[in-house]
Amino acid sequence: MALVLENHRYDADRCIRCGGCKWVDHIYMGHPRWGVKCPSIARYLFDPYAAYGRLQLALGLMDGELEITPSFVDAVFQCQLCGACDVGCKRNLDLEIQDTLMALRQRVVDKGKGPLPGHKKAAGNIESTWNIFGSRKKERFSWMPSGIQPAAKADVLYWAGCYPAYTQSETAQATVKLLKAAGVDFAVLGESEWCCGQMLFTTGQTELALKVAQHNIDAIKASGAKTVLTSCPECLTALKVEYPKLLGKSTSDMPYQVVHLTEFMEPLVKNGAIKLNKPLPMRVTYHDPCHLSRMSEPWVQWEGTRGQYGVLQPPKQWRRGTNGVYQQPRNIMGAIPGLELVEMQRTRENAFCCGAGGGVREGLNDFALWTAQERLTEAKETAGTNTLVLACPHCKANFTDAIKKSGDNMKVYDIAELMVKALSQGKEA
Amino acid sequence: MSLPKETIRALESIVGPQYVSEDPVVCQVYARGGYGKDIVLGRGNLKPACVVLPGSTEEVQSIVKLANRYKTPFVPVGTFWFNSCGPYRENVISIDLKRMNKIEIDDRNMYAVCEPYVIFSQLQHEAMKRGLYMMVPGGGAQVSVVNNVTGAGYSPLNYRIGGPQRRILGVEWVMPDGEILKLGSASMLKEYFWGEGPGPDLRGILRGPQGWQGGLGIFTKAAVKLYPFQPERLVPTGISPDTTLELPTKRMRRYNITYPDQPSLVKAMREVSKAEIGAAITKVPVMWRYRARSTSKEHFWELWKGAKEDLQKNTETILLVVIIGYTSEKQVEYEERVLTDIVTETGGTLRRTKQTDESWIKNADSAGMWWSAGGYISVKINVDSLDHALKSGRDAAALKKKYLEGAVDDYGDPGWFQISSFGHEGYNEFLVEFDATSDPKVSHRIDNFYVDAVKQDVKEGCYSGMQMSYGPVGITGPAYGDHHILLKEIKEMFDPGYLSNPPRPFEFDEKIERECPWVKKDW
Repeated sequence: MALVLENHRYDADRCIRCGGCKWVDHIYMGHPRWGVKCPSIARYLFDPYAAYGRLQLALGLMDGELEITPSFVDAVFQCQLCGACDVGCKRNLDLEIQDTLMALRQRVVDKGKGPLPGHKKAAGNIESTWNIFGSRKKERFSWMPSGIQPAAKADVLYWAGCYPAYTQSETAQATVKLLKAAGVDFAVLGESEWCCGQMLFTTGQTELALKVAQHNIDAIKASGAKTVLTSCPECLTALKVEYPKLLGKSTSDMPYQVVHLTEFMEPLVKNGAIKLNKPLPMRVTYHDPCHLSRMSEPWVQWEGTRGQYGVLQPPKQWRRGTNGVYQQPRNIMGAIPGLELVEMQRTRENAFCCGAGGGVREGLNDFALWTAQERLTEAKETAGTNTLVLACPHCKANFTDAIKKSGDNMKVYDIAELMVKALSQGKEA
Repeated sequence: MSLPKETIRALESIVGPQYVSEDPVVCQVYARGGYGKDIVLGRGNLKPACVVLPGSTEEVQSIVKLANRYKTPFVPVGTFWFNSCGPYRENVISIDLKRMNKIEIDDRNMYAVCEPYVIFSQLQHEAMKRGLYMMVPGGGAQVSVVNNVTGAGYSPLNYRIGGPQRRILGVEWVMPDGEILKLGSASMLKEYFWGEGPGPDLRGILRGPQGWQGGLGIFTKAAVKLYPFQPERLVPTGISPDTTLELPTKRMRRYNITYPDQPSLVKAMREVSKAEIGAAITKVPVMWRYRARSTSKEHFWELWKGAKEDLQKNTETILLVVIIGYTSEKQVEYEERVLTDIVTETGGTLRRTKQTDESWIKNADSAGMWWSAGGYISVKINVDSLDHALKSGRDAAALKKKYLEGAVDDYGDPGWFQISSFGHEGYNEFLVEFDATSDPKVSHRIDNFYVDAVKQDVKEGCYSGMQMSYGPVGITGPAYGDHHILLKEIKEMFDPGYLSNPPRPFEFDEKIERECPWVKKDW
């Protein structure tokens, strides 16, 4: 069920320009330099580049006041769909910003004015090789370390995802080493694992997204696994939120449960099943990946009507970002001796995106790199460290590219890599 | 709508081409929105011909001079919380001040110099880091400090630190003709610490009755007073939407006190202010209590529908008092003892209160006012004595019955009232929540209510507060010292071409005539 813009007229019309979509929550507000959590308005400054502006564009389009011009398309796609606006709005008003922005993109694509060339190229790669890079299908699991043999069948299915499979293999390798160290049997899908399609969902390429989703759901079902474990929050969101959303279902209706590595590992660290005893004398800061933190709550399908005062019948279960994965990675790092975690100014649901999501890395790479550089600067200036830890290979790839471009001295680690470094001697595979 | 190419090129040469846009997609977004969007205040707004983003006072000055040269109206755009940032004339230049967000704090002399895009939560953060504080206004933590102190500036924290007009110190002002005027010490000493001199002090004109909202040029810098706070950190906690500041209870405490009726609550307000204790005092509107308990809009309505019967049986009212130990922990203990005595003497009951702050210290959830019904407006904002505030609130509650259909029934609650300056000033804000989407005539009724509420104040001798500025000047002017004539004279002296956000400050009357056939304009 593709999103329909007209279903979001109320959301667009009831915006009051309070800027909750762009400002950091005022309770957590710091210096003006770090006051805005929306990368798009932070860079482009003109109001169409904030959610409150895009809602005006949506109204203008629905009312026939605006046409889909190149600048309209630019305003709509220069956005990571990072969800900062959605969560910010739901602090006060409960307007469905994220879905409205996605519906707006869908409308642009349906009218033949989108997506952008980079999005089409990435879609072409997916369609021809089932990964976003156009790399060889056979090599999807060639990163598997020698000495680690996935089970033919297991309750836990490790979903590698395109980035860990092809470019951020250190994350995938670290993940399976951790599973081995914890004594967890896991299976993989091999060539049956296709790109999760998150980029397709966010760029309105619904037909291919549906094909990918259906294949992956069937493949997971056929594997017999109960739990799908991902290293990549983008994959997590696709499997957990976008697939059921597109199919008109709820997350709880899916034939599998999806968890991120940090959710899976935190209880094991806590109960001692995995021991992170080796000291790591490092001062680090943690970047909350958008799709692991504020955007990772389950999707609950809602159908109903809006009555007087905008009251919904039946009431809706809101995704406000409250129950995202915020604390688990922090608890894991807290268990590593010698590791000092210092927070940045914008953190948790107010975190500034890495810049990669929403098709920006594929379609508007310059903006992706600018955003990453902003975040790296924030890490240095507000946390006073040159070591950034994250839990997302997509973020890591983008930060790594930004560092290459700027010559910055920042180091970036996936949390899985740190955990492997901290494993008790002899435990590392 | 478009400006001559020559004008656009000239603007580009001032700020750089990347900071000028005449694209219809950009201009569309600068037309409307913000406070007042559903009623007369927001009706008829137009798209600007172009939007420009200056980065300095010099650039603002050059833009305004250019506008004068080409006789082109201009509208300053702050955080766009208020719909007066939307043009009401064709071929306007919107001057978006977003790039001007510098803040400098002089700890020793306790003031902050803010550019127009510094907002209150940012100022409060920087002030509190230095053991100082300011208020956060009813407009919300997201509004521009400069724009708010020069236009409104009301908050329960004004109880101790006084009204907004007293907070303005040195000011840098790009006049409607593009000349720069510096006020107070900023004029002669290049420092912003004092408003009264040496040098000109035009702060009375600068604010007028309640501010000009861009009708008298652009304030590019304003120094505001900061006040000594207490030394302990208020710890931010929670995940959205449940974020809050934990109060350091040895130095700060909140008290919810219930009273069996309004007269006893008012008596307590007076006694507290006579004793000169406390940092903030406000009567909490009944609806806010229900809102705070609700987990969703649907939940709120379920609770609120059931509230009617309870409220008819029980007229209990809530007084919120905040105590701050500015000087010591002993101050908190002393003030708490005095407060406890007053509560006992006035028949109140101290209720268990969470020692956290969601609103007023660093945040103010103004946007949340739209949450329950989707539409909201303060039909009255009185700034006078407490007696006037109470009277005007009661009158408005009675008048509201006439316009109630389609608006949220508040069951006769007179709104939000408080005292400022240790009780020397009273404040009433009469809140109306409504649904503008299911029946457009609801907002027509609110337009009529808005105008009638001003007429009611005039008739009853209550000062009509902020409606002096964004209300029918044709009604309030003759009633209050012919101030409309004074406004006109000042406007024409400073801005003879009516280029600065025209037709400020007379747009309300014009909009009623042009955009609201459902309101009888009989003045």
